[in-house]
Amino acid sequence: MNRWAQTSLLDFTGLLAAAVVVYFSLFGGWVMKQDFISQIPASLLQLNTIFLSILIEAVPFVLIGVLIAGFIQIFVTEEHIEKWIPQNKFLAVTMSCVVGACFPACECGIVPIVRRLVAKGVPIYAGVGFLLTGPLINPIVIFSTYMAFGNDLKIAGMRMAVGFIAAMIISLFVSLLFNGNQLKEAHHHEAAIQTKNRKIPFSIRFWDMLKHSIDEFFDMGKYLILGAFFAAFVQTYVSAQALLQVGEGWISSTLVMMGLAFILSLCSEADAFIGASFRNIFPATSILAFLVYGPMIDLKNTFMLLSVFKMKFVLQLIALITIIVFICISFLN
Amino acid sequence: MQFHFQQALRAVTLFAFFLFLIKLHLGEEITKYVNPKYVLFSQTAAVLFLCLFYVQIQRIWGKRHIHDHDCHHGCSHDHGESASPVKKMISYSILIFPLVTGFFLPAKTLDASIAAKKGTLLTKPVKAQEQIENESELSHLDESAAEVEPNLSLYENGEDGFDDQVPLPNPNEMADEEYKEKMKQLDNSTMIDMKDNVFEPYYGEINAEPHKYIGRTLKLKGFVYREEDFQPNQFVLARFLITHCVADANVIGFLTEFDKAHTVKENAWLEIEGTFHTTTYNNAEVPVLKIVSWKEISEPAEPYVYPVFTRIK
Repeated sequence: MNRWAQTSLLDFTGLLAAAVVVYFSLFGGWVMKQDFISQIPASLLQLNTIFLSILIEAVPFVLIGVLIAGFIQIFVTEEHIEKWIPQNKFLAVTMSCVVGACFPACECGIVPIVRRLVAKGVPIYAGVGFLLTGPLINPIVIFSTYMAFGNDLKIAGMRMAVGFIAAMIISLFVSLLFNGNQLKEAHHHEAAIQTKNRKIPFSIRFWDMLKHSIDEFFDMGKYLILGAFFAAFVQTYVSAQALLQVGEGWISSTLVMMGLAFILSLCSEADAFIGASFRNIFPATSILAFLVYGPMIDLKNTFMLLSVFKMKFVLQLIALITIIVFICISFLN
Repeated sequence: MQFHFQQALRAVTLFAFFLFLIKLHLGEEITKYVNPKYVLFSQTAAVLFLCLFYVQIQRIWGKRHIHDHDCHHGCSHDHGESASPVKKMISYSILIFPLVTGFFLPAKTLDASIAAKKGTLLTKPVKAQEQIENESELSHLDESAAEVEPNLSLYENGEDGFDDQVPLPNPNEMADEEYKEKMKQLDNSTMIDMKDNVFEPYYGEINAEPHKYIGRTLKLKGFVYREEDFQPNQFVLARFLITHCVADANVIGFLTEFDKAHTVKENAWLEIEGTFHTTTYNNAEVPVLKIVSWKEISEPAEPYVYPVFTRIK
């Protein structure tokens, strides 16, 4: 087929795809005006609103995440990684935590990046360190925490310090407990292919990067959507207040706050205001547990991690994070 | 050349995500989902979706073995070629689900039922009303009531005190001096106007030192929300504070008291004027508003309030 026919075929398919979508969206406007919409219970509509709002909030960061993941896939080689990551486990963990702390990401955007890094040969413990500190320690989170607690740097500072220490300890434990990359599928043929890849011109590699990002988005997207839906469901139908009745004494109140952080699945940039609203009823250390635990692991994030890592590893990681954060908080008491 | 149905489906999905975000922005529905301060993020996402759509349409027509061509760098993920048909069906249904509900179902403003799930934590119910009826507070109140008299005639004249309010500048951001000025107003005035753009900082200040505000008058609007153990004459006049998106909505509001409280339906929007008292709950001082005047209003165009971010130069 000649070139002209090929391009016009592309244009035509593209237009057709767009037309199909536009048609259905116009149909949506008509549906919204129908009577049966008003018969849908308000709580369902609110569930839908919360669900979509979580998605809308997360999607920009996920897209940036998959683009970075695509970049790593195409442009970073295993030799690079070998050169950058120190052999010593402790140094590797420290480095990954520091890099994570400098890297402004949120908990959904970072999952595809970590997946790509680990697939490229970054040891799992270093990947976890990056995964934990990325969303927790960054300028936006520090600033919003500072604002939420009445322009007080103490909580914001504690959040960073405790978070960093906890992330270090968790990653070190991971380095002792787990071997292998823990990904769902094995990657054997990567090294051989990379050398071949270098001869390909930049423009094609850039194009490949974008294609990878799309595949990555479709891979991650469904887990993000599931996670967002469950988080929205919990918010609409499960009473957080019932949970709060349990919280007497610092042990149970810390556990309650950690549970709340898990099920609410808030973005780390936004959770400080929620945390601050509990100041009157819970001790500061319990609130700190909420602020440290939430960005490390939550319901939405768990779904995304399950798409990447083996189920057993994810469950053990959650247990590890929970125990270590709890112990770190206990030391403060 | 071969037509790849799955790649076409992906192209359609990417375009649908783009269109969904654009539709929300054009219809200004986006504020029902996220804090307007952050719309730039979702606009960026829309542009990215469009770019990815452009990339994706190139893949609809391809060589017979797209997998060979694509996977020479040994990636692990599914190119939409490998999984079983049932699995594919499920994963595409999940991806399309938010688009369907997004296009076909209207956005709903959060209401008191969500507030009940979240709990208003700061305004706990007052068990014994007499706690607040202490003599010194009452006399203090009489003094200041005289001062605010002119303002109280507001509603009687049929004037809507909120009409002249400038619409909330969407990103709730103000210069440092402006913020300090507003906070000074809160400190000095006997008649406090809880406008949308200062709702959150004022609320924080008043709750931090409720005794400072005893006897002063407060004007605010919000929706009616009750908790189970409220007295018949009590409700909370509340707003949702949205930091980022409605999923992180937080209920903030003041406990109010007046005789006809039971006649007002939950979720009704009111604008009220009331004077401050305090009461103690769990050894903490909590502000209570005694309503002086009130009227029902329709749900405002901007039902939510947003935290203030002062610009740092």
